[in-house]
This record gives sequence, structure tokens and C-alpha cells, in this order.
Amino acid sequence: MIMIRCPYCTELRTEEELVYGGEADLVRPAETSSDQEWTDYLFMRANLKGVHHEQWCCSAGCGQWFKVVRDTVSHKVLHVRKFEELPQPATEVV
Amino acid sequence: MRTHGYRLSTGGLIDRTRTIRFKFNERSFTGHPGDTLASALIANGVDVIGSSFKYHRPRGFYGAGVEDPNAMLGVQDAYGYEPALRAGQVRLAEGMESWSVTGWPSAAFDVGAVAQLVSRLLSAGFYYKTFKWPSWAYFEPWIRRATGFGRPQPHNETRAVHHRYATCDVLIVGGGPAGLATARALMGRGLRVIQADDQPQLGGSLNWETAAISGLPGAGWAASIAQELAADPQMSVLTCTTVVAAYENNHFVLVEVGTNDRGVHTEYLWKVHAQQVVLATGVIERPLLFPDNDRPGIMLSNAVRRMIGEFGVAPARRMVIHTNNDSGYLTALAAHRVGIDVAAVVDTRSEGAALHAKLAREAGIRCLFDTQIQATAGYRRLSRLTVRSGRSVTTIACDGLAVSGGFSPSVHLACHRGSRPIYESSCGAFVPGELPEGWYAVGGVNGTLDLSETFSEAATTARAILDGRGVSRRAAAIPRVDALAMGWGAASARNGRRWFSRMWVDFQNDVKASDIELAAREGYVSIEHLKRYTTLGMGTDQGRTSNVTGLALMAELTQRTIGELGTTTFRPPYTAVRLGTIANARRGDLFKPRRFLPAHAIHQHLGAVFEDFGWERPDWYRSNAPERESAVALEMASVRNQVGVFDASSLGKIEITGPDAAKFLSRLYVSNLVTLKPGRVRYSVMLKEDGVIFDDGVVSCLSDHHFLASPTSGNAEAVAAWFERWRQTEWPTMRVAISPVTSNWASIAIAGPRARELLTRLKPDFDISNAAFPHMQIRVGTVAGVLARVARISFTGELQFEISVQARYAAWLLSCALAAEGDVKPRPVGLEAWLRLRLEKGYLHVGSDTNGRTTPIDVGMGDIVAKRQDDFIGKRSLRLQFATSPQREQLVGLRALDGTLKVGGRILSSGCTKVPCPTEGYVTSACFSPSVGASIALALLERGHAREGEMVNVYCDSALVSCRISNPTFYDPTNQRLQA
Repeated sequence: MIMIRCPYCTELRTEEELVYGGEADLVRPAETSSDQEWTDYLFMRANLKGVHHEQWCCSAGCGQWFKVVRDTVSHKVLHVRKFEELPQPATEVV
Repeated sequence: MRTHGYRLSTGGLIDRTRTIRFKFNERSFTGHPGDTLASALIANGVDVIGSSFKYHRPRGFYGAGVEDPNAMLGVQDAYGYEPALRAGQVRLAEGMESWSVTGWPSAAFDVGAVAQLVSRLLSAGFYYKTFKWPSWAYFEPWIRRATGFGRPQPHNETRAVHHRYATCDVLIVGGGPAGLATARALMGRGLRVIQADDQPQLGGSLNWETAAISGLPGAGWAASIAQELAADPQMSVLTCTTVVAAYENNHFVLVEVGTNDRGVHTEYLWKVHAQQVVLATGVIERPLLFPDNDRPGIMLSNAVRRMIGEFGVAPARRMVIHTNNDSGYLTALAAHRVGIDVAAVVDTRSEGAALHAKLAREAGIRCLFDTQIQATAGYRRLSRLTVRSGRSVTTIACDGLAVSGGFSPSVHLACHRGSRPIYESSCGAFVPGELPEGWYAVGGVNGTLDLSETFSEAATTARAILDGRGVSRRAAAIPRVDALAMGWGAASARNGRRWFSRMWVDFQNDVKASDIELAAREGYVSIEHLKRYTTLGMGTDQGRTSNVTGLALMAELTQRTIGELGTTTFRPPYTAVRLGTIANARRGDLFKPRRFLPAHAIHQHLGAVFEDFGWERPDWYRSNAPERESAVALEMASVRNQVGVFDASSLGKIEITGPDAAKFLSRLYVSNLVTLKPGRVRYSVMLKEDGVIFDDGVVSCLSDHHFLASPTSGNAEAVAAWFERWRQTEWPTMRVAISPVTSNWASIAIAGPRARELLTRLKPDFDISNAAFPHMQIRVGTVAGVLARVARISFTGELQFEISVQARYAAWLLSCALAAEGDVKPRPVGLEAWLRLRLEKGYLHVGSDTNGRTTPIDVGMGDIVAKRQDDFIGKRSLRLQFATSPQREQLVGLRALDGTLKVGGRILSSGCTKVPCPTEGYVTSACFSPSVGASIALALLERGHAREGEMVNVYCDSALVSCRISNPTFYDPTNQRLQA
């Protein structure tokens, strides 16, 4: 069971109270993007084994989306931040 | 008749002053509180408990508890029936009834036993081979009937289920000597500890083994520690509780069985989050391989000790002990002590521990070394066995055989976390490998059978936990132990190959040594292949007794070590968990909350027939006609000719406010909503990023900074979440707020040529003339005396007003709307009529008329897409090759020339008049249209837009329906009526 402390409401929550939103930091290409760029955005995901940046939503709590750095092997949550916060370089290095 | 098993006159932890009556296979028996179903049945002399899975051989009790592969019973107590419980895990209750779940007509006389005669057919890989030849179908019906463990009987259960949640500093799994000593050492140090054990009392093996600890008998010492733990509020002891699964971050699932003297009244499913974990799960004994080693009367050695020590039950009158380790002597001495005639200890080794052998000889027990069992006899009960030592062969008459082939640590929970056990050759067993973070293993599970060593391990573990948390401590005293050592047994399978076809390895799945030999011969030598090819260890016991024996055999056959071979992994749950325990209260009416319309009572009063569409919605009204089709026809006619009243309250409502509201909505809908003026309404669809339609509905502009979006009823929550996600994650700087208000408002739609007259009677305080309030506009004002939002929109193709009021006025508004006056006779209209009216008009029903590939271009909104200059969600995908392909399925209308169109009917390729043939699309909605006077449908059809007027054949319910492709709008294509 994954446990994450929501950075907005500051409650420690289990994955049963959260919604997983997939890989974080995908950049939505402009309308003028090539087919390749657009389909990469639609379908291609890193699917990393190890340190993974992802989005979660505090769905049973405050309803806010936030960003999580998680080890997909150990399910350890390495870092949690709000959307408006800048990444911390030390913890965000993959 | 003298039975084989019987109750000893003294001993055990049972309450002999009270008697419990119970039944097995319709025969009445008695037992005592403290008994399990297994111990009580053995005490009553029951030998055969069921028959084996494949060969239908009679089987008796092989273990005393969770390890028993044989004793699966159907059990009925005062609270319900369970189809497959392990007799050793069922606490005896007054009036309990139990049945064999294998064997027909009875376990003792099983017709299926003829399977033994064709056992050559049922060899390893039987299933796979029948796929090749002759045919699986040939065997399947027969196999399905003959196998399995019991049948569920639904709807007779009154057991309660509760889910409980807990956190703790330390979870101790197991309440035997290792777990008890660890708990004792952690007590009083400020840590919150949960200790779980599957038995009703703590102590584990101490409750039956002969041992003295700190001057007390083992069971007495355990009871005194249990008392201390119970007195400490920081220590939570859960008895009758099995830790069934371990998950990441030290989350555990526990199943607690709440029993009283009438049975299991409650099951608790615990979800426990622990900081640290002590695995004290002990060991499970293994069988030995010898010919016909599965006869009733043959039992694991420590199960015999447990029967004697914990339950005061002798499993046999004259016993032989067959062992490859020192623990067999413990059984011999325990049996001898209570007066069982111990015929011999048959030891496979050249010598046993000197002390053990000496004690046995002093008791007058014959000890045979370097000796193997060559044969056993007795069909429903063991009657004699033949042992061979070198050239000398001896026959021993006996009705019981205790077997010890060494021990396997219960490493299951560590495996649930991905830890791979490693083979320790000095133990002949797999011990935990690298444990997950925060885990410790103590005692038998850690490869430590000796009690003194176990206690010092417990002390070391407690110290490590306390040190890690910086808790001050005094050194805990290690209890003094006086007991005979058990000793590990080698995991080897030395015995004559010629007897392989009569040696059982996995009792539950009827896997024999010959099956493993065959797997080796046919190349299935990897342990994972072996398991699947032979089904070794795939029963409900997950191979607790059989895995290592099977591995040892495969290792010998392929000249490898067990360590090289490795082991399969254990997956949750450790013991079977009832689906009902997981479901908890979420069943029947509580499976999903029912949602009722705010005016539900009025609909009931009107004789509505409700259907669950996420909401309980009126499908049709009995007050209109006693039978559905005529009621629906009447309801449709009232909308077309008079006025119908429809409750649209379940329709989604999301308020979007803020200076950027229009810009925000324009990015989410296909239509440009920036140009939408206050008081105007626009219909549009919403896409996902892949360009596929996700939802549709109208958006109303109430003021420049205030919009109301109406997603479909079923998608209201999903659309609100979708809006919110884009706002938060992609456009956080947009000044916009999203408020889902679906259940705050009730909406009553009035539709039909006389809708305006009806609305006039509700006294709106604004002008509703066609000029002042045209189609696709919205007004806010007072209707029927309450605040209302009135949208002039149409789903039916008629003049239609949708009046939304606060939910508490729903009944009031609906009653006012339905009150007939003069020649305006409003009629309630249900969802079925409503949907048929919209089908006549050709309006889209997302999810029915669209599928997971449908784009707005496919449903005729290509012009709107082409007009959009700026970006919106999913727009870029509409330029991808898939969306622009000329072969796409597009929404069209179909008008049947004869016959009846049905949803799901396939449209045959042009010119085809006979099936099978290629198809080009399918019917998505269909009904008989009174307005058209024919069966009509909407359909998704390849290149459909360009094919209007063409004839096609549709295959519906084994009949061909000839149709003309048309525009989807069958009714009033020029929109005269809704603009009237």
C-alpha cells in the first residue's frame, strides 16, 4: 500500500484515498506539432523501473493534484510537491 | 467396534466438563470446548474424511491444523455454510454440521475410485496433453464433475463482517514461543505492538510439546506471558487471527475469526500498517516418500503430538514413527507416555541423537536405523507396514504411522514482499533470504528449532528494535529451557524408483513421485515448469507440505542441488479468504448507494416503474397504461401532440465562474464558447486528447463570468473531475472556479406543442413568447413562485422548456406542472419514451451512438471543428491519419422497409444478402417510430455520410432487414416544431 502525505491538506493518506494520474511533467505540444510529437505525447510513457515522477490526486481528501517522486520498485515516496512549487534538484535527479 | 482414534482419559487444553454435539456426514458425535473439528472427529474414531482429488483414494487427517492437505469439509454452523474449510482450523461449535466435500456418493465409498484403475491416463501434464490429442472437450465434463472442493450455498449466511484499520510500531506474526518471547521483551517500552496468532490461545507448539520453561510447563509459561500481555494496554493480542498477506510499506491484511459456542459469528478483515515486523511463523512438517504413504492413519509426526498434547486425543492404538530427524523420538515418547502402543521408530538415518535413542529404548520402544518403509497396507485405514533394512524385511502390524520428513519454515509473508528464500542445507530447508526493510525473523521460520536459541534470538531482535528507536532498556532475562531438541531433517527423497507411482508428494492435488519423474523425463525441469506441469503445490494449501519434497525429488532426478533448483514463490493470501469478507457490507442493496430523484415520492405515486441508471429513474408510468409498450406509445404521443413532463434532475450541472470561464470551457468543448452571449445556450461535445468523444451537453451563459455546463447524467462526476484536473495541472493561472451542483438543482422538462401554455400557467415573471425567449436561450426568474432557471432547449424535437429549481422544490414544481387545467393535459413521461423521441430526432446519445473511436467529424460536427481557429482538447488528434481516413464509421440513420431493427444488428457490405459475409457497421439505437411509421435506427457505418439513400441489409436476430440509409434526423428535419 502506497502512502503519501498530501502537500495541500498535509494528511498522510493511503492509495485507497488517492487517485493515480500517471507520469508527471508531460508537455502538451502546440497545435502545430508534428504527428510524431503529438502521438508521443498521447501514448509514449517512460514506464520506468525505479525513480518515477508522477501525478496524484487527493481524491478522498482535499481534491488537489500534486506531484510525487516514487520508486516503482520499493514503492517508497521520495518527494512530494505542489504543482506551483519548483522541483528540488537534489531529489529530482533520476 | 473398537475405533482407531480415541479420547485419552486425561490431558489436553479441552474443557471436559462440557460436551458439544455435532454432526459429520449426518452422523452425530460429541466433542468438548477447545476441540477443533479435526480433533473431535479423530477422538470419535473417524478415519476417512474425504477422497483424493484425482484418484479418489480414501484420505484421513494428515495434519492437525493449517498444514493438513486432506481434511477439507463443508461446514454449517449457526451463522452459515462454508463449502471448503480445513477441519483443523474449525473450532467445534454446538450443533455444527459438516460434510465431506469430495467423493460421491460418499467419501468412504467413492465410485470415482475407479480413477485409480486408469491412473496411467491421469499422469503429469494430462490437461496439456489432451489439448493435443484426442480432445480436451472429451475429458472436460467428466473431470469437472469428479474434482473440486465443495459447492457454495448462497444466501444462507448471517455472519457479520467488519473491516478494521490499525497502525502499530511492531507487528508480531505468530504467538508461539518465538513470538511470545519477542512480545515479552518489547513490553513496557512505550511501543504499540500488535501480536496475531491463528489459535484461540497464545503459545503455539508450547501448548502441546513437552517442555519446561523457567520451571513452568510450556503451556503454563505461555499462559502467564499471555496474561502479562493482556494487562498491558500498549500490547494488542489478536487471537484466532491469521496474517494472510503482506504488502509494500509494511501494510498487512489480517483475518480475525470471531467465534462463540455456536460458531463463527463475525469475521474481521484488518488492515494493519506497521513500522516494524517480527516474523515468528514457525515451521511446517514435511512428509516422507514411501509406497502408499497416503493411507488414512498416516499422519505428520508433530500433528500426532499436538493431538495428544493439546486435545487429549490418541490418533491410533498402535503406532509406528517414521522419521529422518530427532523429532520423531519426541512423538514416540509422547505417545508412549499416554499409553499408546509404540511399535517402533523407523529412522532412515544410521543413528539418531544418543539421548533421544536412549530415552526411547528405556521406554521399551524398538528403534530401527537405516530403515525404510517398503509397503503399507489397509484401504480405509492403515493395518500394517513392511520395513526394510538392508536385506532384512519386517512386517509390523499398526493402525497409525507418524511421519517426519523434516521441517519447512513458513516464509510465505516475506515472499509476498518479493523476498526470495534461500536453501540452507544444514536445515534441509528454505529459510528467509534478504528480508524487507524493518523485518526480523525469529525462531523456526529463521531456521532455529532449539527453544533456548529461539529465546536468545527473540531477545536480540527486541534489542535491535528498541535500539533502532532509541528506547532505554534493561537486558531482558532469557527464559531457561528444559526440553528435548527437535533437530532438522534432510530434504532428500532416497527411495526405490520402482515404487514412484505409489508415492504421494502433493496429497491435495494427487501429485505422485512418478509425475515428477515424468516431468523430469519430458524436460519440465525448471521449478516453475514442474509446478505447472504437475500441479505440484497448486492446491489451496499452496504446497505447504509438498513443495520441498517435490523439489528434493526433482533435484535428485536431475543431479542438481535444491539450492540450484530454487523454489516457486508464495503469493497472498496465506490461507483462503472468503470473498464475502473482502466485500464487507458492499453487497445487495449496499453494493452501490442508490440515488433517488428529489421528487421520487411523486413518481412513485404516479406509478413509475423505476430503473437504475446510476439514479433510480422512471422508465415508464403505470398511470399512463398498465403495460410498458402502450404506456411508452402514449407518453410519446403526449409529447408530440400535447405536452409531456419529464424529470431531468439527474442531468449533470457544473457551474463555471470567473473571468476566464468562457476561455476555459472553450478549451474543453469542440465549440467556441467565448462567443456565447449571456442568456444563450450552445450544444457541444467534449473530447479526450485522442480526439474521441467523451461527453456531450449544453453550456449556458448566465453572465460573462458565469456559465453552466450540463454533462450527461452518467458522466456528471467524471466531467467535473476532468475540468478540475485541467484547471489544476495544465492551466493553473486561469481565473476560474468549478462547482459541481448536480444534486442541488431539480430539473423538470416540459415538452410538446402546448409546452408554452403549460409554462404560462406556472406564472413565470418573464416574457416567454417565441420572440422574447427563442430556442437555445436561458432565463433566470420566478416560476411557480420559486427561483428558477429556465432553458429553452430540446431533446425531443418539440418545443421544450427545462425548468431548474432548488432540489427541495422538486416535488412542488412537478406537481404544479402535472396539474391539468382546461384542455392542457400534461402527462408524465419516462426515460424510454424520452429516448425514443430523441432517436426520432436523430440526437446523439453518447456511449450508445458513439464508441471508443468516434470523433466529432464522424457524428456530423466536422464543420464546427473546421471553424475553430484556436486549440481545444483533442483537436490535434483529429488531424492524425486515423481520424481522417475515408473508411471511418460515421453516424447515419436507417429506415427499415420491412422487419424490425435491433441494437447490435450488423450492417452487411453492399450487395450482400446472405450471412456470413463482411460487415461495415452496426446499429447503435433502434425503435419503432410512430412518427415515421417504421422501424428506425441510428448506426455507425463505414463511409456512412456519403451513402445517404443507399440500400443495405442489416442482420438482426437471425433475420435480414432491408433498410435505406438516411440522415439521422427522421423527425422535423427543418426544426420548425422546436422553434415554434
